[in-house]
Amino acid sequence: MWEYKKRLEYPVKIKNPNPALAKVIISQLGGPDGELGASMRYLNQRYVAPCNQVKAILSDIGTEELAHMEIVSAILYQLTKGLSIKEIKESGFDTYFVDHTTGIYPQAASGTPFSALTFQSTGDPIADLTEDLAAEQKARLTYDNILRLADDPDVRDPIKFLRAREIVHFQRFGEGLRMVQDQLDAKNFYAFNPSFDL
Amino acid sequence: MDAKNKLLNKIRQYYFSLVDANLYLDSHPTCKEGLAYFKKYKDLYEEAKEEYEKKYAPLDFLSGIKDDKWAWASEPWPWEGSEN
Ligand SMILES: [Fe+2]
Repeated sequence: MWEYKKRLEYPVKIKNPNPALAKVIISQLGGPDGELGASMRYLNQRYVAPCNQVKAILSDIGTEELAHMEIVSAILYQLTKGLSIKEIKESGFDTYFVDHTTGIYPQAASGTPFSALTFQSTGDPIADLTEDLAAEQKARLTYDNILRLADDPDVRDPIKFLRAREIVHFQRFGEGLRMVQDQLDAKNFYAFNPSFDL
Repeated sequence: MDAKNKLLNKIRQYYFSLVDANLYLDSHPTCKEGLAYFKKYKDLYEEAKEEYEKKYAPLDFLSGIKDDKWAWASEPWPWEGSEN
């Protein structure tokens, strides 16, 4: 089960609303490499992991990704607070506003709603953990692109925190993959699903 | 930054140290340094959390009762930017 902590993992305090920037950053909520997909990927994959340590890594990183979803959502909420209709029209935020007003809805920057098709749970830990490593790199590079597009230090600061966490997660998943592979021998290396065939 | 938010930031830092140490210990469960680090920040976190909840507001639902009232639901929520 889960328990909510009533605080952000990293603080978000944005002085100036910027709906155009929100339209870009929303990809890290509901886009192909966003935090919602990250959390769902790991929390769904964990059940058939072949050893307890890998179950722990998937559970704990999946849980931290929920906190990251909340940070991204706080950024979106504060970037779209107190807007006038003129600002909404001029920023291009009107295409989002018409469906969601300023509610937080998980979608990609392109407008595509969040889809479970952005991740897999294959039942094969080598395939899953290899996907997880790629997912962390893709999230990291999306944050790099956001940092190329965002000037506001109030926005850049929490984005830099989120970017740094992707690098730590990549490291931990690398260790998890090595643990799984260390339990295989030369004969079944890569050729078997250690959660099903062994 | 006022005293309330200074303390909240401390709690956030201590808890983040625990989150990061948790991930590290998952793959290094016998690392003595890692275990000592975890213990150190767990004590600091618990002490600061207790102080904050006594003085200001609950941070989890288990501490939701304050001054004989249900304070959990009435205090501001973290995404509103009123913290720090
Ligand atoms: Fe991550």
